[in-house]
Amino acid sequence: MKHYVKLVRPYLIWSVLMIVIPLILIVIYSVTTGGNTLVNIQFTLSNFKKFAEPIYLQVFMKSLQIGVITVLFCFLFGYILAYKICKFSERAQSFMILLVTIPMWINTLLRTYAWMSILSDNGIVNTILTKLGLDPMTFMYTDFAVIVGMVSDFLPFMVIPIYTSLSKIDHSLIEAAHDLGANNVQTFFKVTFKLSLPGVVNGIMMTFLLSVSTFVIPKLLGGGQYMLIGNLIETQFISVGNWNFGSAISMILAVVILIAITIMRRMDPDDAEED
Amino acid sequence: MKKTFAVLAVAALSALALTGCGGSKETLKIYNAGEYIDTSLISKFEKENDCKIVYETFDSNETMYTKIMSGETYDILVPSDYMIERLIKEDKLEKLDWSKISNKENLNPDTMGQVYDPDNTYSVPYFYGTVGILYDTTVVDEADLKDGWNLLRNEKYKGNLYMYDSERDSFMIALEALGYSMNTTDRSEIDQAYNWLIEQRDTMDPIYAGDDMIDNMIAGNKALAVVYSGDGAYIMAENENLDFFEPEEGTNTWYDAMVIMKGSEHVDLAHKFINFMLDNENAAKNSAFVGYTSPVTAAYEKMQEEDYKGIDAYVPNINNENNEVFRYQDAETKQYYADLWTKVKAY
Repeated sequence: MKHYVKLVRPYLIWSVLMIVIPLILIVIYSVTTGGNTLVNIQFTLSNFKKFAEPIYLQVFMKSLQIGVITVLFCFLFGYILAYKICKFSERAQSFMILLVTIPMWINTLLRTYAWMSILSDNGIVNTILTKLGLDPMTFMYTDFAVIVGMVSDFLPFMVIPIYTSLSKIDHSLIEAAHDLGANNVQTFFKVTFKLSLPGVVNGIMMTFLLSVSTFVIPKLLGGGQYMLIGNLIETQFISVGNWNFGSAISMILAVVILIAITIMRRMDPDDAEED
Repeated sequence: MKKTFAVLAVAALSALALTGCGGSKETLKIYNAGEYIDTSLISKFEKENDCKIVYETFDSNETMYTKIMSGETYDILVPSDYMIERLIKEDKLEKLDWSKISNKENLNPDTMGQVYDPDNTYSVPYFYGTVGILYDTTVVDEADLKDGWNLLRNEKYKGNLYMYDSERDSFMIALEALGYSMNTTDRSEIDQAYNWLIEQRDTMDPIYAGDDMIDNMIAGNKALAVVYSGDGAYIMAENENLDFFEPEEGTNTWYDAMVIMKGSEHVDLAHKFINFMLDNENAAKNSAFVGYTSPVTAAYEKMQEEDYKGIDAYVPNINNENNEVFRYQDAETKQYYADLWTKVKAY
């Protein structure tokens, strides 16, 4: 077995080149000024100080808020969906999981454009509303549109880990709970939900990660004035050209995500046992 | 069945081998804005010159700049005026050999010799135009147009307008409405423009949209939109309720031009491509497809007679004395504008 360890080396080189070096660059950018070429740089913390301005903190808070709401809806829909899927026969289950993943085969951009044509002022929903004699409503460029787009986009990342946890549960445990006099609700909360917790934790982590850092969906469904932290980073890099400030924001976001993940891991019974 | 498979396999292999040969063909790398060329012209040029074109697109001048600064190289770029000025200052462009551009006579002299490149040492105009307001004639009262840019502050149209999600164009509008130069570096003037934009945002509820606004205006979703004249022409050709209007206070006249990047290894072929795009017929075809105003006189006249007949956005008024071309901004001014723009959008 030992000589297989050598096989890891190419991967190590790869991850140093593709992960560690870029990360170091971001750290360097975030604590310096002097442009994007890194030729004559000066050490500074002004990039981080700048982030403390109320306008940027506001953007940050809004991102967290939208992120949490998205995760909540994903969890709600995702858990119910995964739970229902588990009730079917095994063949039906794998087919249904396939259906859940199919949207992921299509590029996010296309899926978001599809939402645009559904939700726009003269879009599919409003056409139906008008046909039914109701007043058309504005959906585009609102929190609603952004959250709908994000929930539908990230749902598979919630469904799949939860489904995996649920399908691993030994059915005899549930039967035992019933035998010992627990009703359906008690069984669900005391047995099923507890055993599915690792999947829930993973799902929440993934969807949270994706929803705080996204920028395509808010840009398209929320319009240019819908600024989340991902959009802020994007504009700093692409249109403003201030890579230093952009890197500082990325660093702050990374730290916040790291803290969130650590807290979540504590809640995961599997990991807690290892500690 | 097996035989068919074998034949297909051989065909696929030989196709691979043939494309392998293509590697010896000269390759021209072009970097242009998105949806800014009739792609049939690319294959036409490839056929005529037995070469291969690698065609990539960007969504803003800044994206283009970021990409070439990160080390990517191209032969031909098609940036806007102020960006060309910057690239010239930073010595990123190759000087043109005008003797290789035999179609130069086709160019409209009014579009030449602009401030960003006074002797056209580096650039050949590709499209030009202005920025104006596209309005729905069934909703907007003609009498309100006399307000000029302040039409965008008329509360009758609250929640019914698109601003263009671009820092320079938005500040241009505010500065012109206040009677300042769009190229000002005076902090107090910039701050006033910032307040104009903040007040507009709070009273009017505008959407800061990108190019998705084009489809939305065609569908008639909103009554007002700030557009480039070329996009205006394209939208008006699809929705006859719309009209285009350039405020008297002055607007931005802009030029997008072809330049050759310094260090290009295919300078000859690049000149051929530039010359190709100035051909009367090719320019007309390109202009008809994109909707932007051609600097090639014959194409410009043909479009006014045919594809864009009666569409005033195709004929931007670049002779208004109050109009200005964007100038290069130093890093400090640019950062100042950028921070303010972020604050306008994030609330």
